Amino acid sequence: MKFSFSNRRAFVSGITAALLALTAGMACAQADKPLRIGFSMARTGMLANATPSQMNTYELWRDQTNAKGGMDVGGVRRKVEFVVFDDQSKPEQAVRIYEKLITDDKVDLLLAPWGTPFHLAIAPVLEKFKFPMVGNTAASVALRQVKPGYIWFPTSAIPDRIGAELTAMLKTQNVKSVAVLSNVLPFTKEIKNFLEPELKKAGIEIKVSTEYPPDISDMTSTLTQIKQANVDAVLALAYPGDSVLYAKQAKELGLNQPFQFVAIGPSDAFFPKAVGAASAEGVVTIAHWSPRAEWKGSQAFYDAYVKKFGEDPDYLNSALAWMSLEILETTVAKTGLDKAKMRDMISSTTFDTINGKVKFEGVQNVITPTAFVQTQKGKLQLVWPASMASSKFEAKKGW
Amino acid sequence: MRDLFPNRWWTVLWLSCLLLLAALPFIANDYVVGIGLSVLMWLALTQSWCLLSKMAGYVSLGHVVFYGLGAYLVVITWQQIPLPVAIVGAGALAALLAALVGLPVLRVRGPYFVILTFGLAELVKYTITWAESASGMASRILFGAPDLQVIYFSMFALAVIAVVMLTWVGSSRFGHGLRSLRENEEAAETLGVPVVRYKLIAFVLGAAIPGMVGGVMALRSTYFVVGQVFDPMISVTVIAMAILGGGDNARGPLLGVLFLSLLSELLWANAPLLYMVILGLVLIVFVLVLPQGIMGLLERKKTPSAQMLKDAAPPSPTRGGAP
Amino acid sequence: MTVLETLLSGQLLFAALVTGSLYALIALGLNLVYGTMRLLNVAHGEVVMLGAYAAYWAFSAFGLSPLLVAPVVAAAGGLLGYALYRGIFKGLLADSSAAQVQRMESNSLLLFFGLSIVVQNATALVFTPNNRAYNYLGTVYHWGSVSMTGNRLAALCVAGTCCLLVAVFLGRSVFGLATRAVIERREAAFIVGVNVDRVQWLSFVLGFASAALAGVLVSMLGQFSPFSGFPYTIAGFIVIILGGLGNAMAGLLAALLLGVIETYGVALTSANMRSMLLYGAFVAALLLFPNGVFARRAAAR
Repeated sequence: MKFSFSNRRAFVSGITAALLALTAGMACAQADKPLRIGFSMARTGMLANATPSQMNTYELWRDQTNAKGGMDVGGVRRKVEFVVFDDQSKPEQAVRIYEKLITDDKVDLLLAPWGTPFHLAIAPVLEKFKFPMVGNTAASVALRQVKPGYIWFPTSAIPDRIGAELTAMLKTQNVKSVAVLSNVLPFTKEIKNFLEPELKKAGIEIKVSTEYPPDISDMTSTLTQIKQANVDAVLALAYPGDSVLYAKQAKELGLNQPFQFVAIGPSDAFFPKAVGAASAEGVVTIAHWSPRAEWKGSQAFYDAYVKKFGEDPDYLNSALAWMSLEILETTVAKTGLDKAKMRDMISSTTFDTINGKVKFEGVQNVITPTAFVQTQKGKLQLVWPASMASSKFEAKKGW
Repeated sequence: MRDLFPNRWWTVLWLSCLLLLAALPFIANDYVVGIGLSVLMWLALTQSWCLLSKMAGYVSLGHVVFYGLGAYLVVITWQQIPLPVAIVGAGALAALLAALVGLPVLRVRGPYFVILTFGLAELVKYTITWAESASGMASRILFGAPDLQVIYFSMFALAVIAVVMLTWVGSSRFGHGLRSLRENEEAAETLGVPVVRYKLIAFVLGAAIPGMVGGVMALRSTYFVVGQVFDPMISVTVIAMAILGGGDNARGPLLGVLFLSLLSELLWANAPLLYMVILGLVLIVFVLVLPQGIMGLLERKKTPSAQMLKDAAPPSPTRGGAP
Repeated sequence: MTVLETLLSGQLLFAALVTGSLYALIALGLNLVYGTMRLLNVAHGEVVMLGAYAAYWAFSAFGLSPLLVAPVVAAAGGLLGYALYRGIFKGLLADSSAAQVQRMESNSLLLFFGLSIVVQNATALVFTPNNRAYNYLGTVYHWGSVSMTGNRLAALCVAGTCCLLVAVFLGRSVFGLATRAVIERREAAFIVGVNVDRVQWLSFVLGFASAALAGVLVSMLGQFSPFSGFPYTIAGFIVIILGGLGNAMAGLLAALLLGVIETYGVALTSANMRSMLLYGAFVAALLLFPNGVFARRAAAR
């Protein structure tokens, strides 16, 4: 057969069409294959009260994403499927689980567990297998040593910054003396390590400084000491579990200082439920987000969360979880699942999130300022720093 | 050697385990190697536990204290001294603790010894917790830990040493002395067995291996939490494995370790609580109904009449394989 | 706070009394079971935990006051004790020869340990391992410089009263006498006509009932989980070793002492040291009394 011009064109078009069909077919097959995202979550154990705020956020995102046809992976949308295991609030278990997820389940992407100890525990695993993961509900100065990194922290609640900012806030409230009590778990312990030198530098007297184990069941002795000490402010560096115990026993003993700071717990909806709205009122805690017009998507996130779960999201942990998902989404849409490219992009890009812009230098987010919120009339308001505040600090009127 | 390979079946079992475990890193993925590592670890821990607790009858519920101490030493000397030195040091530290507390602790008998060892482990745990936070340490992370292969073969060596040690002791005069004091300590003493010395030696020897095991495992998890490395469940699991296996030589623990490790593998990811319930049930059932463990069952099948005689009278120290 | 201020603090005294009275109640039950049957019930704390859950569910699901529910829960605990006795232990102890007694004691400990693991994790499976708490009698009363939450005050009163009642019962009644006889010398008591079987099951019943009651009280005071029972078991053991077996009054004093050590010890040092102090006391007690305080018992069976 003679290859005339028209024949050749037909031939080429035919081949092209066939190739296109094949690629489309492959892409469709790829798109049909669900995208498996793995993580561990403390469903049982000491921290189980705190993790729903993060798990809910993950699920909300998955449902929204799948409703859109799936996650954008380098141009192709794939439905998202979670592979979740319970780490029982034990960092050891989290290590095993993430190893399993990477080597045995061979998931496509990883999401972060809840809490600083867990992020710290799995960081070496991520480094070993060169698998990048965007962290969220964790902060530690210890991980700045990690170079090159496979984990990033969008939060601004880094212990050394918290120490400095909290001291500054106390100064503006004319606080002259404080009592510091701290859970010995890594995050709160680090805060204490940085906070106390800052307080000393600012001339604020630390009348009581004490620590307690995570499984503490009675704080009476410690709180009695604090009551006798007559301080202007009490800084309870507590985790969600002991935050409730602290609030209840502070109420019993009548710790009525106008400035009450509880590190982790009050930003989550379970706190006012467990201690009562009156007790929760006026407590200052760590968070750097609230739904605001200038942060695109923040109100939408808030509304969607309330609609699906019937309660407020955790202003610290849910927001961070969502931010980490946004960062992952943006990255994977561009780079696909290439781990090296993902890592490069996350390390160098400025991302838009529901908390404003986020950019990482090393493992840390350098844009979001360290902030604090306070429960006012049942709602969490940003009260520090002034540049970001939505309301002014109000003195707490007893528990 | 009679103890290890009394018949063809056991020879086959031991050799196939040896070969499979030795070859594992070359034929399987990291996850499966992890399982093998776990088996080796439990083997080493249980074999070393049997030295005092099975042979001399002083049941220790605090075996984890040596494990944790070893792990702690390796973690605090991380990247300051060469790793092999740290690991050996871990074993030495554990043995040192045993030597220091051995005399007063071993004076206590029966169930009091059991809860005393438990209390001791918890005391050390809380002391170290306090020391850590008092020194300002929030957590300890180990970056740059050695490869899984290195860890695996170190554990392999430790497990082999533990098995060999228990077997060698079992057929030695020292071992017979231990057995005799298990049966009746006062009588043994009157017969000239250096009871106090033997107990102490067994205690110290049995402490060195878990110390090194703990040191090696610290490298594996790379994140050090005091509560985890001193977890009392480790002690309980060791006891369960030993009781399940039965016997007072190296064979029983192998069975117990294999069975429970496999069970744990099936359940740890999806139903960890169920695994714990089963572990507790194993303890109950085997203490109540089968105090001689699987080994006892196997022996019973072989010579029913001899076994009935054995059951009737309190067991006496006979050659190898005594329940 | 200076050392003197700490020692004189009424607030701390109140806390020590509350803790001590609970320990006393728990140790009482442990004492009875161990004294009469030489069974180290390591699962005692689990009965406490179950009592706590019962009260929690009664309150959360039906709004019943824990104080109302307490007698019912205690009775249920007693029933459980009876069932356990008849079901397992009566048979076990009946045919134990003298030579196997000591080994059985170690074994019984392991048995109870296995039981406690099963109960803890089964409860966790059924009720989830998460912490539970509820708010009852939360108003704070003031007496001088001491603030007392209603529920802690109630716990102190109930536990204290029960302990005193049982102590008087053991000290004065005929049954009490019989119990002490069995504790001291079992075979001899049998010979003189004491109904040893009845003493034993009554001890089980009383022991488990008091543990369940303690659980109800504990549930009012703070958070608990399926794994909260164990620390109470340890405290109970310290108390009975220090106070002596079968000696109810000494047990009460030892419990108060432990409450004092804990509360004041923590106030003088830090909460971080609490467990160190507790286990330190535990180990020291065992090293000082290698056969339990009652050294004669082994030979006399």
